[in-house]
Amino acid sequence: MNRRTFLKTGLAATSLMMTPPLLRHSLAAEPVTFYGLKSMSGAYASYGEFAEKGSKLAVDDYGLLLGEKPRYVTIDTEGNPGRTVRKVQEAVQQQNARLFGGCTLSSTALAVGKEINKVGGVFMTPAGADEITASECNKATFRWTVPTYGAIQQTVRPLFESNPKAKRWYSITPQYVFGEALLTASKNLFAELGIEHVGNSYHSTQEQEYSGYLTNAAAANPDVLLILGFGGNGASCLRQAANFGMKSKMTILLAWTQGLDWFQSLGPDLLEGVYLGAQYWHQVDAPVNNALVKRTREVYGINPNYPLAGDYIITKIIFDAVAEAGTTDGAAVIKAMEGMQYDGPTGPEMVRAQDHQVIKDYYLLRGKGKAAMKDRDDLATVVSSGKSFPEGDQILCKMS
Amino acid sequence: MNATGEPRPVLKSPGHSGRRRDAFVSLCSGLPGGPTAVVAALLVLMPVVLPSRTMATEILIFAMATLACNLLLGYGGLLSFGQAIFFGSGAYLSSLVMMHGGFGLLPALLTAAVAGAILAALVGALAIRRTGIYFVMMTLAFNQTAYFIAYTLSDWTGGDNGLLDVPRPPLTLFGVTLADLSDATAYYVFTAVLFFLIFIAVRKVIASPFGSTLIAVRENEARAGALGYDTRNFKITAFALSGAVTAPAGALYAMLLNFAPLENIQLSMSENIVIMTVIGGTGSLLGSLLGAGSWVIISDILAEIWPRWLILTGGALILIVLYLPGGLWGGVESLMRRFRGGGTPHAPDGIPNNDGSTAQPME
Repeated sequence: MNRRTFLKTGLAATSLMMTPPLLRHSLAAEPVTFYGLKSMSGAYASYGEFAEKGSKLAVDDYGLLLGEKPRYVTIDTEGNPGRTVRKVQEAVQQQNARLFGGCTLSSTALAVGKEINKVGGVFMTPAGADEITASECNKATFRWTVPTYGAIQQTVRPLFESNPKAKRWYSITPQYVFGEALLTASKNLFAELGIEHVGNSYHSTQEQEYSGYLTNAAAANPDVLLILGFGGNGASCLRQAANFGMKSKMTILLAWTQGLDWFQSLGPDLLEGVYLGAQYWHQVDAPVNNALVKRTREVYGINPNYPLAGDYIITKIIFDAVAEAGTTDGAAVIKAMEGMQYDGPTGPEMVRAQDHQVIKDYYLLRGKGKAAMKDRDDLATVVSSGKSFPEGDQILCKMS
Repeated sequence: MNATGEPRPVLKSPGHSGRRRDAFVSLCSGLPGGPTAVVAALLVLMPVVLPSRTMATEILIFAMATLACNLLLGYGGLLSFGQAIFFGSGAYLSSLVMMHGGFGLLPALLTAAVAGAILAALVGALAIRRTGIYFVMMTLAFNQTAYFIAYTLSDWTGGDNGLLDVPRPPLTLFGVTLADLSDATAYYVFTAVLFFLIFIAVRKVIASPFGSTLIAVRENEARAGALGYDTRNFKITAFALSGAVTAPAGALYAMLLNFAPLENIQLSMSENIVIMTVIGGTGSLLGSLLGAGSWVIISDILAEIWPRWLILTGGALILIVLYLPGGLWGGVESLMRRFRGGGTPHAPDGIPNNDGSTAQPME
């Protein structure tokens, strides 16, 4: 390529770069548009399917918003944080997207929240990482899920108070940020309640074989086995603990579970008598929940589970804030959301302005036996519920 | 080097050379500069025809990583499942020196390149002590080790949550700001220029005596050793070069996302890079861009069609390996040859051995 050709090519290239992309979408849609970040494909597709149902139900049932029927767009996170961030950037650049909700993975939620904050949008998530409303909090990001602190307070404390003689506890913990957060909260509460922490076993999140950890736990002769893994980790650990006959020898508590869909996969034989922490339970008697259960049965023929209820209320909160603000402008919507009090699927809920954390109930459930079940989803009964959140100096959010 | 400037990835007979030259000439006729001009044209067209410049940038970043993998696999015959080590390390290291060391864009990329080269040389020096499947397993084991190190060092890497707040500094040289890269188009242009320079550099490497000897080592290591070449050093150098290109790709990816996820250093990233290389065509640098582009675009499209889209990509990979062993680029070459009505198809992966058999893309 000679110099002249190079210069000509460069000039042509610059001209081409200035033209709008042929496949670019049109700018700003007229109706209020909610962008649901759902893991529709990849490893977490089963979760995303329910989450999308929740958001769609909220959009379909909303009626008019700023004079028009709101619109819903799914962005598939593919269970891949990198690709999700890229897709969010595209939605912001090409469709002027500003209202987002969802995310299964904590890493995705953290990164997406930062991205949306940069463009002055709004994002609400049911993801698990405490950092979302603590060290990594930001103006755009809101979180519906109770943090690890509340999950431990609302499971370990009532279980211990119902049986104060159960003083010896053994924990099995997945070794990553989330597992460590649950363990730290547990240790702090053990110290406060005078519980003897007789041991802890760490395992990797890839772990399939728990017999070694369970043997150590059995050797420590605890009154309570506290399983801090969730999803596949929690299920495998519980199955193997049951095979070891530990259900009859000690109380078993899984402090953080996914709720109904996870219970369905495990079945009543395994869950009977096991204590389970949950963010949401469809049998809770609350006006919004009763209405949600009715509509979910009508539309989808199922009972709502945690991802469906979580993404339903997230979508509704953002729409309510848009209606109150009278605009989709990020700053105005955020202002409307801060301090918002509303009836949610867990009863009265409130968005705390200080860290954008939703203050809501967390549940301690107890697995039912097959004979006690009234229907196929009547897999557990609510033992207790309540709200526990870091207060005062314990709130680590320095809002940016 | 052939008539259009494409470096020859093979040691071949004169007759075979003539046929391949015809194919390249036919493909690149009317395009000054051969493959380099084709790449330049593609770099200009990509942001215009693709749905977004961010996607175009992502394609170029993965094309860089694929280019580096191709250097090992296509030209060195070294099937490495450890490329994510260099990609992830480049992302983490460049981010950390920018966030905590105050490094600018170019110093951060340079740091990633140097660190990637050193790391790759170390991994390569140990892995090439074994051959065949054991070599592959060694690279795989190194990748798993690197993943768990990153996972464990969560204070530095963010662990499972990823490293957040990665900056995208402006392009500065000697204290003078040349361009603000916060805009998607500006960042694409910067990445495209970098890709173009790397493409030219890798072509020069392949066309150099080093490249020819690397191919000779791949074709018949014992014979190359008997000729007096230190085959071990050639392989380690190939690894170092591959790391020096892959790590800056990881750095660019972190800057694109303002975030370095743990997935960057996972085995699945290595698998994706190898898949992109195979899809595009081993032994073809242009194929690297084609492989990365088709992978990113197809996965975006398929993800919208079916939740379990990875099964489809698996099927597509099987079909390509069975029916397009030269990858998509090999398919393009075949089509052009048929269109022109001349020549006969060369060996399936485009990397025939001296005896006419197909080279095994493995150490």
